[in-house]
Order: sequence, then structure tokens, then C-alpha cells
Amino acid sequence: MFLQTLITGLSIGGIYALMAVGYSLVFSVLNFSNFAHGAVIMLGAYVGLALATKLSLGFGLVLAGSIAGAGIIAVLNERLAYSSLRRRKAPSLYLMISAMGCAVFLENLVYATIGSRFYAFPEFFGRQIVTLGESSVSLLDVGAFVFALAAILGLHLFISRTRTGIAIRAGVSDMTMCSLMGVDLDRLISIVFLLAGGFAGVAGVFLGIKYLVYPTMGWVTNKAYIAAVIGGLGSLPGALAGGLILGVVETFVSVYISSVMRDVFSFTLLIAFLVLRPNGLLGRDSEEKV
Amino acid sequence: MTTPTPLLSVRGLTRDFGGIRAVDSFSFDVPEGSITGIIGPNGAGKTTVFNLITGVYRPTAGDILFKGEPIGGHRPDRIVRAGIARTFQNIRLFNRRSCLENVLTPLLQREKSNFFAALAGTPSARRTERSLREKAFDLLTSLGLDAFAPLQANTLPYGLQRKLEIARALATNPSLLLLDEPAAGMNPEETRSLARLIAEVREKFNVTILLIEHHMDLVMNICSPVIVINFGALLAEGTPDEVRANPDVVAAYLGKGRKGK
Repeated sequence: MFLQTLITGLSIGGIYALMAVGYSLVFSVLNFSNFAHGAVIMLGAYVGLALATKLSLGFGLVLAGSIAGAGIIAVLNERLAYSSLRRRKAPSLYLMISAMGCAVFLENLVYATIGSRFYAFPEFFGRQIVTLGESSVSLLDVGAFVFALAAILGLHLFISRTRTGIAIRAGVSDMTMCSLMGVDLDRLISIVFLLAGGFAGVAGVFLGIKYLVYPTMGWVTNKAYIAAVIGGLGSLPGALAGGLILGVVETFVSVYISSVMRDVFSFTLLIAFLVLRPNGLLGRDSEEKV
Repeated sequence: MTTPTPLLSVRGLTRDFGGIRAVDSFSFDVPEGSITGIIGPNGAGKTTVFNLITGVYRPTAGDILFKGEPIGGHRPDRIVRAGIARTFQNIRLFNRRSCLENVLTPLLQREKSNFFAALAGTPSARRTERSLREKAFDLLTSLGLDAFAPLQANTLPYGLQRKLEIARALATNPSLLLLDEPAAGMNPEETRSLARLIAEVREKFNVTILLIEHHMDLVMNICSPVIVINFGALLAEGTPDEVRANPDVVAAYLGKGRKGK
């Protein structure tokens, strides 16, 4: 029972981490809270759903299509709603308000066109079970966890090794300076949104398979904000650690205490971290980001 | 006698911020190979001129010609790639990174690298990185910073951080280097050694230098021509001696005498 709870927790935590990584990436480069991230996750899930039901594609292609779709949506979102604010060097509060507007707009767009129905993905993994010692866990849970880890490791390599990754790190530290090192900021920011959107697509597909696809499913991103705060806003290893910790803690609370208490507990954790340790577990000193 | 085309030529440059005209039809030339100085009272618009040349701000009006090509209003990264690098009055290093990594950043952005090779850390990618690290180290050495290569940039004393900023600017391989108050906060001894360094950098890296400075002795010793800006507009230009003798310049700096001549 313990191991099973742990694996379920890690699997949910892996999905939280995928969401938190994309959210954190945008936050650390542009220094604003991209509330439209949840809507991109939701749209990614719909793209995956369409590929799975209308075209009957297999899991791998569904995932790839959803990554590409959500990535492009995120880039368009930036180009249409944020880029002109950014170029005019508007305060980040304006970007945040624009992001909230985008979230509500995209959700209602889905209501108006696709409708409010709840959809289920086809059963990709059936009810396949992996047996580990005494307990058995679903293949989906193990897969979600492993895939989340692999994707985040890939992102880490990208950020630390490639030319573009290093430019992203320079941009995190000082955008103007980064452009004066010869980096095209518009292109760089599009890449950041493409990455964040790609991660949102993965999260959307896993969420959709695990639960259901519906217009407000993106609100689960609230959990990604909590995960990002626990790990330290703007830190990638922090987003991973925060996501996993939150997923595991939540699952243990629902199993051993009560599932009604789950969200009460999560948001209490958020407030406790903001009060006691605002930089999170692995975050930088908040004074560095001015 | 024909005068060669200047490396940088600014014509009628104007920039408004709301109702304030920070730079007002400002024109000047930077001859190739020179150390040109811009002086002017605080708030005269000197740094704004740098921000306009490097594309951080867009000009409201006017032209900026670099090697005869218009660059006014281009993106900062295009201007850097065209060959203009700068330092800042308030030092802006990548504080949490080592000195070596600070210089490495622009070197890496110039390099055409194979994305997947870099991701996988293949031997050829590692070789490229090693050679860039050597290049970065050489740049640090030529500015006397080799001993500080592994140290985090913001742990360096102020004067050395300024030198590191110059090293990082040089790593973009500029033909024109803009220095914004390089001697700010330095004592007379440090200022003299900075003057020597600037002259050395010009020789060694074959760059033209345009600098803003308040230390008059530095400007008068190494700069020619000297350009004086006041209220965003050109007040005077010429050799240090000409500028020093110009009554308008004296008035702008010291105020008009009561006696009046």
C-alpha cells in the first residue's frame, strides 16, 4: 500500500513537475506569471484527443502531435498577446493581466466551439499493471513518472550545453545584456515559449489520459504554481523537486487522511512556503531578480 | 586632401521621452582608429546616445551610419554582430557566473555549433568548447584578469569588474567599442592605469574607441577628438586643447562668470 501510494504520488508529481517546468521557464526569462500556461495545457490535451480519436493514432504520435501543437499555440500566444508589451518594456503586471485574459479567452473559445462536454482518451495502456514486490501499480503511472524525468533531464542538458540554452541562461540574468551579446531576443523568447508549450503538451496528454479532457482542466496548473514556489520560482531543478514533493505529499494526504483535505493541505503548503521560505528549496535570492 | 569616411557617423540624432527631448539633433563623427571622447554635464544625454547607437532605444529621428551602413533602430543583436560593443556605467555583468563564463557567453553566441552534438556532449563539441574556453582565457589574460578566471564575477573588486566588462565586450569581436564612464569610482592612480589599458586595447584589438567620461584628465590625455554635449545637443567638438579653450564649454561646466567680458 505504501509503495503504491508513493508511485501514484510520483506519477502525479511528475505531471506537476512538467507543468511547473514550463511555467518556471517563462517566469525566469520574462519575470511574469504566465497564467495562460494552464490554457495551453488544456489545448494540448484537446490536440492529443483529436489525434487519438479522429485519426486513431498511437500513443507516441499523439504525444508528439500534442507537443508540437501546444508548442505552436504557446508561441502564438506570446507573439499576439505579450510581444508588443514586452518590446515597449511594459511593467510585468501588464503581461500578467494579459496572460489572465488569454486564459479566460481560450477557455471560453473552447466552450463556444467544442463545448463543455468531458471527453476521455482511448485506453492506451489498457489496465496494464506493473508488479513491484507486494504492490501493483498502473503502467500509466510509471510511464508518466519516467517520461517526466526524462523530459526534464533533456531540458536540463539543453539549457546547460547548447548555444541557445546558454543564451537562455544569460537572458535570465539580464535580457538587455543578453541581446548585446548578439542574441536575437524575439527568437530566444519564441524558443522559450516553444519549450514551455511542449512541456504543457506532454502534461496535457498525461492529465487527459489519467483524468478527462474538458475546458477548465487547465486550472490544475494552480498546482504547478505551488510546485514552482516550493522548489523556488525560476529554478528548473526546483520545479522538478517541488512537483514531485507536492504530488507525493498530496497522494499520502488523500490516502491516509482524507481526499477532501488534499487541496486544503496543498494551498496551506503554498502559503507556508511563501511566509517561511519565499525562495523555495532551490530558488535564488529574490534580490537577484530586480 | 580627402578625409576618410568615419567609422561611425551620427546625423541629426533625436530621441524624445514623453515630452522630454533627451537628445536633440545631435551630429558627430568617430574617425576610424581614434579614441573619441564624449563629455558633458550630468543629464546631458550621453548615455542615451550610447543606448541609441547600440539599439537599446530607437531614435525618434536622425541617422546612425556605421561603416557607411544605416543602423539606427536596428535590433541590439544585429548591431553587435555588425561590430559595435559596449560597457555600462553601472556595471552589468552576469553576476552569478565566473569571469571565464562571462567572456565565454558572447564567444559561444558567435560560434556555429551543432545542436545535437552539443546536447550529447560529443568529443567534437567538447573540443569546440575547449578551444572557446582557451580564447576566453586569452582575453582575460590580455586584460590581466587570468588569475580571476574561476571566480564569480560579482566577488571581484569594482575596478576589475570594469575590466571584465571590457573583456566581455571585446569577446564580441567589435570594431567599435563604446565605454560608458570606464573610470567611474576610480582613484587617480587607477585612472592612469586605465588610460594605459584603453590605449593598449586599441592597439592590440585594432578597435576604435568611443568613451563617455567625467575624469577630465583621462579625456584630455587620451581622447581626440573630444565632443561636448549639453542639453542633448552638440556644444563643441575638436582637439582637447580646442575644447578646453572654448568659452561655451567653460560656461556649461563652470557657469558664466559674473564679470562678463
